Amino acid sequence: MKKSIRETIKDFLMKAMEKGVFDAVLIPMKVPAGDSYVYVLIKDKALVKDADPLPPVMSVQGGKAVSSVTRLGKGNLKIAAVMRPCEVRATNELEKNEQVNPENITLISIDCPGVLPLHDFTSNPEEGLAVFEQAEKKHDDTKMRPVCQICDNSSLIAGDLHIGTLGAAKDSVFLIAHSHKGQEVLQTLQLSSKGSLASWKKQVQEKVENKKKQRSMTHKQLKKQIGGLENLIDTFSRCLNCHNCMRACPVCFCRLCYFDSEKVKNVREDYMQQAQEKGTLRFPPDTTLFHIGRMTHMSVSCVSCGACEDACPVSLPVAQVFSMIADETQGLFEYLAGRNREEPLPMKTFKEDELHEMEDAHD
Amino acid sequence: MKIGVYICECGPNIAEKVDIDEVIKAVKPLDNVAVVERFKLLCSQDGKQFLADQIKKHELTHLVVAACSPREHQQTFMDVCEQEGLNPYLFQLANIREQCAWITDDKKEATKKAIRLTKAAVARVQYHTPLEKQQIESNPDVLVIGGGIAGIQASLQLAGPERTIHLVEKTSSLGGLSQYYEKTFPDMKPCASFIKGLIETVKNNPHINVYTNTEIEEILGFFGNFEITVKQTTTPEATAAFEVGAVVVATGATPFNPEHISKYGYQKIENVITALDFEQMNLSGKITLKNGKPPKSVAIIHCVGREEKGYCSQICCMYSIKFIRYLQKKVPSTKITNFYTDLCIPGKSQQHFYEQSLGNHVDFIRMSDLQITKQSDKIQITYSNEKDASKKLSVDMVILSPVLEPTQGLSSIIESTRISQGEKGFLTEEHEKIAPVSTSTEGVFIAGCSHGPKSIEETMSQAEAVTGHILTSLIPGQKIEPEVKVSHISESFCIGCKTCLNVCCYGAITFDDLKKVSVVNEVICRGCGNCVAACPSGAITLKHFTHNQVYHEVKEAVQ
Amino acid sequence: MTKALVRKTSTEQGLLTFLQDLLKNKVVSGVFSLKVINKDGDIAYALITNPDDLKDARPFYPLMPENAGLHLSRFTLKGTAKQPVLAVVKPCELRGFVELIKREQGNLDKLITISATCGGVFPIKMAVSKDHEKHLSKYWESVKKGEIHPEIRSVCKACENFEPYTADITVDLLGNSKSDAQLCMYFNTNKGKELATALKTTLVEKDSDKKTLDAIRKKRTAEKQRLFADIQKQLNGIDGLVNIFGRCIGCHGCSKVCPICYCRLCEFESPEAEYNPAHFESEFKKKGAMKVPPGTLYYQLGRLSHIGISCVACGQCEDVCPVDIPVAMIFKYVGESIQTMFEYVPGKNRDEKIPLITFNKEEFAEIEE
Repeated sequence: MKKSIRETIKDFLMKAMEKGVFDAVLIPMKVPAGDSYVYVLIKDKALVKDADPLPPVMSVQGGKAVSSVTRLGKGNLKIAAVMRPCEVRATNELEKNEQVNPENITLISIDCPGVLPLHDFTSNPEEGLAVFEQAEKKHDDTKMRPVCQICDNSSLIAGDLHIGTLGAAKDSVFLIAHSHKGQEVLQTLQLSSKGSLASWKKQVQEKVENKKKQRSMTHKQLKKQIGGLENLIDTFSRCLNCHNCMRACPVCFCRLCYFDSEKVKNVREDYMQQAQEKGTLRFPPDTTLFHIGRMTHMSVSCVSCGACEDACPVSLPVAQVFSMIADETQGLFEYLAGRNREEPLPMKTFKEDELHEMEDAHD
Repeated sequence: MKIGVYICECGPNIAEKVDIDEVIKAVKPLDNVAVVERFKLLCSQDGKQFLADQIKKHELTHLVVAACSPREHQQTFMDVCEQEGLNPYLFQLANIREQCAWITDDKKEATKKAIRLTKAAVARVQYHTPLEKQQIESNPDVLVIGGGIAGIQASLQLAGPERTIHLVEKTSSLGGLSQYYEKTFPDMKPCASFIKGLIETVKNNPHINVYTNTEIEEILGFFGNFEITVKQTTTPEATAAFEVGAVVVATGATPFNPEHISKYGYQKIENVITALDFEQMNLSGKITLKNGKPPKSVAIIHCVGREEKGYCSQICCMYSIKFIRYLQKKVPSTKITNFYTDLCIPGKSQQHFYEQSLGNHVDFIRMSDLQITKQSDKIQITYSNEKDASKKLSVDMVILSPVLEPTQGLSSIIESTRISQGEKGFLTEEHEKIAPVSTSTEGVFIAGCSHGPKSIEETMSQAEAVTGHILTSLIPGQKIEPEVKVSHISESFCIGCKTCLNVCCYGAITFDDLKKVSVVNEVICRGCGNCVAACPSGAITLKHFTHNQVYHEVKEAVQ
Repeated sequence: MTKALVRKTSTEQGLLTFLQDLLKNKVVSGVFSLKVINKDGDIAYALITNPDDLKDARPFYPLMPENAGLHLSRFTLKGTAKQPVLAVVKPCELRGFVELIKREQGNLDKLITISATCGGVFPIKMAVSKDHEKHLSKYWESVKKGEIHPEIRSVCKACENFEPYTADITVDLLGNSKSDAQLCMYFNTNKGKELATALKTTLVEKDSDKKTLDAIRKKRTAEKQRLFADIQKQLNGIDGLVNIFGRCIGCHGCSKVCPICYCRLCEFESPEAEYNPAHFESEFKKKGAMKVPPGTLYYQLGRLSHIGISCVACGQCEDVCPVDIPVAMIFKYVGESIQTMFEYVPGKNRDEKIPLITFNKEEFAEIEE
């Protein structure tokens, strides 16, 4: 995406602030040292010029950022949150879990080209920036994170407004309203979806089909790699139990994770007994259990954003595994995490007539 | 910590099937166990005195008894603890009778299991914390919603100088459906006049406040302490409020309206009337056609609406037979034909009642594919039976016997009380067999046709059952002791996701909007533990079933 | 004079034999050590009870997947010690554990500690694709010579506390030119000596070579000054702090792997630390923009003030930081300046109370004036 597209987006935001449609914008910005990007809530519209709606990395998941602003209630400020589709989806999932108050927030998503692995960028920001710019120019995502490379939801519209860049004319973007709120924004700014979205839709569809194929192939391979308990344990053997993945995850919102609580800490005699039964007890035990447990708790809400893998100090393929499992668990309920705000969470919904195949297994 | 472990012989029951000395040997060396003894019968006076003495002698801090089922004597031993100044919740009972001695003749296996269970109890009790019973004031008054026979009966039986009944009826008069029945089956005794008498008794009772043309606006609170607001149907701004300790939902049923089913011709063909129309006509004293003349032939159609609603109302066949009696009395020479698909005549007197109704002028025809059409000034009934595909019968009058439907408009009651409505729209009992008149909300009862279609005799039984519940649980002057083993949500760890709120079926969890955390109402909580399991963070504990308590008990049991 | 065990065998082999003897003869019931845990050769901590499994133990391997002080705390905090266990840990891990014991987060009941003079560890990232393996032989060479290997953690390069202060047994490793052919272990305490007695092992009188250790310390101090000067430049005022912590994403990974951070619910994660809309809006009256989630710098400074007094500079924090902030060096630098004020070396002396909970009437008079 050309630099000018970013300017177009920022112009739109500044105009909206001028007209009082938004009082503030939540958008990524380069840090003072220039070696990373973080979310900033901007009230002074002049500062929007220094923002970057699609930086080369996703250091903080947008859903988490929105939640930190509005978990405890709606503010008086009308905020436009500018994020990627997976971040909007995470925000929707968080809303369903009472962690986001959406009232004064307008969720704006943009067609996402993917991001670089976080560590690759921070270890050498200059090189990272160059790599990212090249990738954008050539529409080449082979340097992006593994989960970004097989993402088929990079243009999914789940918020109030979507900025379409694919198939757009030079320096211009498609502004697509997806909700009443989004429509009002466009109306107030006297902008309309002039002309058809056909070229955007076509490009998006092509990309989606392509990615779905890639995803299916990649997952076939991955299944072989992690299938079976032995393979699963091996996959996570390097894990240091730091739980960074859980804390970076936008939909892991518990204040005290079950797997950090006293419940998983046993008495000395228990550890000794286990060590004696096995001959060797890896310490701390239950490394793989943490990952399976986390999956059990959040897989149905996983938006495949990849924040977990970025945060892992030993480069475990956490996001790749969790994203693949999420496809399966969400598929069970015909659910796609965060695709809209109305669909109730499968984990909180009781249906008497459901999952009979599970019952039959025990007959 | 000093744990005393006492193993009951239970006479020969345990002593002969479990090697108690082996159990003592296994338990004695455990950490924190101060003493292990056996005794012949711990639940006896001597036994209880023995335990009391032991608690004093060894200055025990915890007590474990291995004996019978907790259902038998948990309370007995807890009372002993309390008398000796030991918190009754620092006690654990291991069941080595029903779960060991009484299920096998293999003494070795029984002893092994008894050892496991006793050790598990010892492991568990170390993690027990003292719990205090709460006592809260309660209001003995009762709200009865619905002035039909169920509501009237419950009100009359409950009302007294120490208990006021608030009887709320949405129509202008008490009496419900049965006020229109001249007589009831199978005894054919007077009904409408009886009901009239009951209504007078209710009105004259100084302890029953009757509110007609009144609906429920809101029900807040919990068992023992409900806050009720009612409003007038005629002037909704006119409200009244009062407090009660229990609520009886006796909102009854209404007959199914067959108007939209064209094959019955109701409201289209003259002299096609419903059962309720007929009851009212009969009560007025004369049975006539629209033109004032008596009918010479009458068809009574059973099961109207059964297919559409998907259930049998149990009473329609019976009252259809009752109609034969009405007709036989008031228009003796009338030819009566009952058309039915299945005949439902349950009970000890009903079969006799049916047989006695048969006669020269009475036909019972089992049929299908019924169709009612007008034929000049008569009514033609077309039907199929086992032999013929298309038969016809011409009659003067058709009485349609419809099923009973649940009363509509109960949403504010259901929402406020959190009771459930079943698939068919009737209110759901707590348990079909062992708790047929209570609901999942403590203090809210259902009686009569609000629960499901039923006869007057069954309705009266339910009204009496509800009365029994309320008389024994809501005693004037006595405080209520709510459940002690309830949930507790850690305010520091709760992140306010409301998952627990969604799974609580007792409405015991509310949300504190200011702190953005969920809070358990310890009085409503029944200690089921659903919230504990549902909380992803583990921020909820169940008193007396904490993680540590359960974990250590299970761990020891499976060693 | 200290009692020592000297054997004519490589340190690695001699140590493994010693551990095996202890387990085989049931002198201890378990050995806690780094170990190869799978066929890929990944190294992690393990509690070993089967003496045969000890062949895969790697007692002083130059990796620290977690600070073992955390593990010893978890192992000893709950329940009762019924069987003796020997823990093989590095000096900073032991110091971390001692600091935790002072805070009631663990105990030494039936726990015998064995450590070694330490040559440092490789950053965890190097172990991901086993990059560290190609440096192993040069590493052991530099350990023998008492030199600083260029690829180890920066805080290891700057570490002057490479001698394990409270260990029951110390293995002579750093600066020991004979370590390939000779095992030398010092038995510092009665607890340690009891193990030797149980194995009927004869101990000799031997002291560690103070001169060599002092020379090594000088090298480390020089490296420390260099690295501190570097970090000091970066920590110049609020701008410096914003620059260096600017990319912090508030993941709190540093806190979770730190042996000293033991709070069940960190203050900076508690409801009290949350921002509500009114907070944001009042902050906006002063600023035109705000980093979100807020409070990352506040958290860093807060954590520094809470644990700085006990920071053992192990370097775990820096290794898990997803955005490569040099947290370890910053915390070592600031932590040491606090510790110097109280003349306190965390974990050096088990009986020394934590300065923050000790009231001395005569103290810091200069601040009063």
